[in-house]
Amino acid sequence: MAESAPDKKGGRIGARGARPGPYAEGIRFLRERRRVLWRLAAWSVLESGQTFLSGYALARALDDGFLAGDRGIGLAWLGLAALAVALGAYGTGRVYRAMAALVEPLRDALVRRVVTHAVGGAGGGRTEGGGAGGGTTAVSRLTHQVEIARDTFAGLVMVSRSFVFVAAGALVGLFSLAPVLLLVVLPPLVLGLALFLATLRPMARRQEAFLEADENIAETLGAVASGLRDITAAGAEEPVGADAGGRIDTEYRAARALARWGVVRVVAIGVGGRLPVVLLLVAAPWLLGRGVTTGALVGALAYLQQSLLPALQSLMQALGTGGSRLAVVVRRLAGTAPDGGGAGPALAPGPAVPDGTVARPTSPAVELRAVTFAYGDRAAPVVEGLGLDVPAGGHLAVVGPSGIGKSTLAGLIAGLLEPRSGEVRVCGEPVRGSGAVRAAALRVLIPQEAYVFSGTLADNLRYLCPQAGPGARTDAELAAAAEAVGLDVLLSRIGGPYADVDPGALSAGERQLIALARAYLSPAPVVLLDEATCHLDPAAEARAERAFARRPGTTLIVIAHRVSSARRAERVLVMDGRQTVCGRHAELLERSPLYRDLAGSWGGPGDSGHLLGAGASDPALAPRDADGVHPVARPGLPGDGGHVVAYGPVGQMQAAGDLGDRGAFGGQ
Amino acid sequence: MASSIPADTTAADPATTTPDGSAGRPGERLLRGALRHSAGRVVAVFWFTTASAAVGLALPAVLGRTLDVLLADPHGAEARRWVLASAGLTCLLVVLDALDSLLTGTANARSIAWLRRRLLRHTLSAGTRAGRRTAAGDLVTRLVGNAAQAGTAPTALASALAAVITPVGGLVALALIDPWLALAFVLGLPLLAVLLRSFVRDTTDSVARYQHSQGEIAGRLVEALGGARTIAAAGTGGRERARVLAPLPELSRQGHRMWRVQGRSAAWAAAIVPLLQIAVVAVAGLRLTAGELSVGSLLAAARYAVLATGIGMLVGHLNGLVRSRTAARRFAPVLAEPATAYGTRSLPPGDGTLELRGARAVRGGREVLCGVDLVVPGGRCLAVVGRSGSGKSTLAAIAGRLADPDGGEVLLDGVPLPELTHDALRRAIGYAFERPALLGGTIGGTIALGPAPSPPGRVVEAARAACADDFVRLLPDGYETPVADAPLSGGETQRLGLARAFAHEGRVLILDDATSSLDTVTELRVTRALAGRLLGARPRTRVIVAHRAATAARADLVVWLEDGRVRAAGRHAELWALDGYRAVFAAPDVPDGPDVPDGPDVSDGPDVPERPNVLDVPDAFDEPNRSEAPQADGGVQGG
Repeated sequence: MAESAPDKKGGRIGARGARPGPYAEGIRFLRERRRVLWRLAAWSVLESGQTFLSGYALARALDDGFLAGDRGIGLAWLGLAALAVALGAYGTGRVYRAMAALVEPLRDALVRRVVTHAVGGAGGGRTEGGGAGGGTTAVSRLTHQVEIARDTFAGLVMVSRSFVFVAAGALVGLFSLAPVLLLVVLPPLVLGLALFLATLRPMARRQEAFLEADENIAETLGAVASGLRDITAAGAEEPVGADAGGRIDTEYRAARALARWGVVRVVAIGVGGRLPVVLLLVAAPWLLGRGVTTGALVGALAYLQQSLLPALQSLMQALGTGGSRLAVVVRRLAGTAPDGGGAGPALAPGPAVPDGTVARPTSPAVELRAVTFAYGDRAAPVVEGLGLDVPAGGHLAVVGPSGIGKSTLAGLIAGLLEPRSGEVRVCGEPVRGSGAVRAAALRVLIPQEAYVFSGTLADNLRYLCPQAGPGARTDAELAAAAEAVGLDVLLSRIGGPYADVDPGALSAGERQLIALARAYLSPAPVVLLDEATCHLDPAAEARAERAFARRPGTTLIVIAHRVSSARRAERVLVMDGRQTVCGRHAELLERSPLYRDLAGSWGGPGDSGHLLGAGASDPALAPRDADGVHPVARPGLPGDGGHVVAYGPVGQMQAAGDLGDRGAFGGQ
Repeated sequence: MASSIPADTTAADPATTTPDGSAGRPGERLLRGALRHSAGRVVAVFWFTTASAAVGLALPAVLGRTLDVLLADPHGAEARRWVLASAGLTCLLVVLDALDSLLTGTANARSIAWLRRRLLRHTLSAGTRAGRRTAAGDLVTRLVGNAAQAGTAPTALASALAAVITPVGGLVALALIDPWLALAFVLGLPLLAVLLRSFVRDTTDSVARYQHSQGEIAGRLVEALGGARTIAAAGTGGRERARVLAPLPELSRQGHRMWRVQGRSAAWAAAIVPLLQIAVVAVAGLRLTAGELSVGSLLAAARYAVLATGIGMLVGHLNGLVRSRTAARRFAPVLAEPATAYGTRSLPPGDGTLELRGARAVRGGREVLCGVDLVVPGGRCLAVVGRSGSGKSTLAAIAGRLADPDGGEVLLDGVPLPELTHDALRRAIGYAFERPALLGGTIGGTIALGPAPSPPGRVVEAARAACADDFVRLLPDGYETPVADAPLSGGETQRLGLARAFAHEGRVLILDDATSSLDTVTELRVTRALAGRLLGARPRTRVIVAHRAATAARADLVVWLEDGRVRAAGRHAELWALDGYRAVFAAPDVPDGPDVPDGPDVSDGPDVPERPNVLDVPDAFDEPNRSEAPQADGGVQGG
């Protein structure tokens, strides 16, 4: 199932640094909580007292009371034992509180780690859709695995603590009754424990193999259950059934192996818990001869049967299964590095607060130099040797079929992705490495999935603005931004900027409007809209894009969802695998067949041969603009005038039209 | 090979073929099957657990007697005999416990694996219908969790006698040693239980609050993850972390509270057994002083008192059995769907003509297809359009026998689909869906998925035809990338689904909204590939459920469904004159709305001809029951 899949996305991007293992971390965790451990021990002593008296009081009750004919003394000793039981119970209650002080911080730490990893490690991936899978994983970790870790850890501590203090009470009791008893009891007890401890590791391995097999089954059957229609349709019942059956068999084998190791546990309990009883009886004549009283013998037998044996059984049960469970879960949670796994951008941990700096006029707002990027060493590059200049105040639209790497380009410009080679600069600042923080303050990226969090609308809108200083925004500015991008209707509907927004209650389009207004308010001069308007209708999209085009000092890069976005831009970058072309709309219509297709010109007579039954007069194919929206007159942008330039190394790009004016970089 | 699956299931498991309606019966029958499957082990478990319980009961008495004999004459032969007997019984107990542990473990594993295999096989052969009554997640719970619970039923049943013997035997033994001891126990137990109950606190409240805080953190986390890219770009990870973790102190507070409440309850509950034991020992001591009881008997009594408190464990054991049975009952809905039966015929040579004759389908008591008749000539493309809920997907499912019609029949090249063998049917008809499930492990594997895997060359070819090759090559390991490692967009997933349909040779392709997430260019490329000689074969017959007008426009024929009936059929260009038809594409639920081209303004009015153009479509649609399909009359005017 989802939770069993480790965060593969994080693993794919960037290597993880070396970290201390879960074991070392556990030791450190306990060492930091020495005081709690002492408290735990102190209250556990009461439990030892109860154990101690369970045998000792019985021995004295017999020797001094019932066997001596004095009922009062006998009952008094037993009453004392009962009192010890009550005290022990009180101690147990206190032990629970001490456990809280040990276990709750562990849970807090695990929750913090899961959240830190999830928040820091997500994003920057190839597609936005990856977030959904990662989300279920993270939530499962948060609600399920962290709780398993918490419960198992608590169980382990409780049981091992209980064993230690019960054993201590019983052994002290045996010593008090007659030191010579220990001679008989200790060797088999130690032997049994040693046998168990020796088999703990191989048994834990079997247990882990079983847990893994069980998860594999859940995962496989989960895929089968949700893919029944596809399995039937593909006629793949046999291979799919064989695969799932194989996993069931694997678990069966693992369970059988585990059951066989269970025998060792029974033997260890037999040696450690039951053999001392037999030895005590065998040695009874000798013990009785050495002055061990009847009561002492009965007390010793009581210790063995009522205290040590059950404690031993619980210990072996808990360590045998719980230990492995904890190890598996902790290892999985440990896979979530507290530092975020290095998947995110190399930004400062705090919010990058832009200080309202305007781009240096000398350098282009965005420049890419021979940038190559691939999602893995063996993967084909998504972007290869790409060069691109977008001057300050420019307006570039990026178009291409889905999955071709448009969002990757946005990620590269934003510095979320590290190119394999080449360099990306925003307003002259390198987006990775030394200039990353400065560059991050100069651009704002609004992705397709608009992020709106529960809180006030104003909080959401000021998300990218500093609290004070030149970048801070007044309520009037908020209203103006809302008006500009088309959020005004929602703003008045929910009751002003200080009304709470419930992201779930908003439509995808409304969330996008909030994100757009947020970007509009941000002091960053470079705005990257990565299909940020895809849930808006064409008119609303046009309004929002025009707002950004009019925003002072703004360089706009739009990953276009519709061709109308491209028409509004000064330049269009057409991505189609290796064939990257850049130019004006009209030029591209002539030069790029793909752009023609994209621009909705594919219903023309030239294609009609392929389209059975779709004649040129077909009403559905009549409109040439796929959007049905008339192109918007290009706004007069500051710095307009042929500054959007794309270039590429030899052979990587088709030169389109006016690229020649940058001869130094121009492709041939 | 594949066709043997359902046959095997039906032959071996009568429960699956005769669903008698009574809830739980098939599940219990399956459980009995599991019991039979591990009969030998279960019988052995019965003997070992029962013997172990008997030995465990005898041991305290023997130990007590040994002690008495030892105290009387430590060095006598009788003492030696009793010590030997104690040692022997102890060894026997260990051996029996070990065997019991081994056999119970293996028998459980065996039953669970058997149940899962059975359920899996049945689920696979019932196919889509198995998922109709049970949601996918629920189905997994049944196959994984419930099977694990139900699988322990045979051994739980086998050890039931042992579970009864121990506490009852303990009480009887107390009575046999001295009736006063049994009395002390019987009176003490409820008294203590009532006394200690007053200490037990209800933890429900703190648990609920704890879960609430936890849910709040999870909710905030989900929100933040949805905005992962924004957060990464804005570098606000630290702020988000603080926001998500804001309810953590409250979670911690409730956690501490839970421990306190639990501690109070657990502590006092744990005191019950020792206090009862002390009470019994006190009575035994009094009897000892009175000379009515030996020291050994006192020792035995102390042990029996503990064994007798095992009555609580008996309740637990019974609960376990009930849980197993309940779990088994949850198999019933899975088993209620009969396995799909396949025929024995193979396909005669043909061009892939698909024919629906009076096809009816009922879903949830509602008729979603009401006698649809149509013929798709071989190699032609039929588009099925209509508003959501009009029966498009049901028609697509029936056309390729993902489901059988509730009335009427479907023929491929003259052969009714149920008469075809599994392999003949599935090889002939390929499917692609709006949201394909990507099984098969790797990207390549998911494309190759079929009765027999497609060769790698064909996989790449199919991927190319589906415009998937480009993005697959961008993945870290290309076609070898595990599906789980590949973050795929909806459009990419659809392209893989299309590639899977393309990778297998066949006569018919059914696309159930399978291009809805593709951009227009990619969709165009895919449909071009479809119309051409796909992978060297002749053009296949295509049935395309479509939302976009452009898709319908490219089809040879369009059938317009409304409320399960064919409202009109013909070419897109001809149907476009109908207001109602245009409205289908303007519906707000149409995905990628902007990609649907607007039609020219056609003045709405009643001047639309009756049954427009339907009859002009040459030999495409066979409508023998026109009187039963009044699609044209009301439909056209109502638009």
